[in-house]
Amino acid sequence: MSASVLVPNVVSPVVVSLYLPAIFTGLFAGLIGLLAITYQKNDLHTLILTDIVGVAMLIIVAAVGTDLAESLILPGLVVELAEILAISEILMSREMRKLGKTVELVPLPLNLDMEILDTAPTFIAILLIAYGAFLSGFTGGAIAGGGILFYVLSKMTRGVPFNIWEGVAGVSGIAWCLWLIGFILFFIAPDYWLLALFLAAFGIFIKVTFKVGLIGVLGREEFKKDKE
Amino acid sequence: MLDVYVWFYTGVLLVIIGSIGTVAGPGVRDPLVRTLNTEIPAIGVSLIFLTYNHTIALLTFIGATAIITMILLRAIVRLEEMGAEL
Repeated sequence: MSASVLVPNVVSPVVVSLYLPAIFTGLFAGLIGLLAITYQKNDLHTLILTDIVGVAMLIIVAAVGTDLAESLILPGLVVELAEILAISEILMSREMRKLGKTVELVPLPLNLDMEILDTAPTFIAILLIAYGAFLSGFTGGAIAGGGILFYVLSKMTRGVPFNIWEGVAGVSGIAWCLWLIGFILFFIAPDYWLLALFLAAFGIFIKVTFKVGLIGVLGREEFKKDKE
Repeated sequence: MLDVYVWFYTGVLLVIIGSIGTVAGPGVRDPLVRTLNTEIPAIGVSLIFLTYNHTIALLTFIGATAIITMILLRAIVRLEEMGAEL
């Protein structure tokens, strides 16, 4: 097999044999999605079809089949999520300006004013954040972020304090620096690898947790617009 | 018995059929139907991740897909309440 020159021995033969089918599936799905976007006139439909192109991208990355693939998929997912969130906000605010009408921030078909939304969120959020801190790293960040998101969403009916998000965004930036310092320390002072590991792990933990701050900042902008 | 290839090729099939269904399936003029159709390729990708043992990627992908669907549904509902052309 000609590809065996490029593939290291540690890669399992199953992954090597699945490489070409996976790549072609990804290319085919991506082609379908991009062709559909070309013919699409409506912006909202284009946004939905972006999801298909994202799926194709994930398959091509996954075909690498080692830990490298896993570490490339995670940032890809986060970027895709942020991109769809941002573009949907832009679409909605543009339509709002065009039509001169405003609608509430999270339109809910149900009235979610229930007793359990008042008592449970604090406990569940604390539980999730504590477990996330115990896990640390990217997974812990995702779990703790889910806890905060749950808290915010369930308190939404009563109004979230919008001015705390500025601080959350600041802490997120500092955590990002911690993560970078941790990585630099690996290279310039390998003796302190344990310190570097913990800096990197908890830096990324806080960073991913406060990705929720993004949603909060968007909400604050909406809130300002409503007041004017 | 069921070997690795079954899961992989089921995933591939779901991705391709789901992509075509999202692009040109029945009733996709309605953005709600189109959004729900994107769930099928998402299941396919989950199966492909499962074949490759990408556990953390799989868990994050499930979470991200759920949040993306929520964002898209919110956009659709808000635009519809505004009375925009969909």
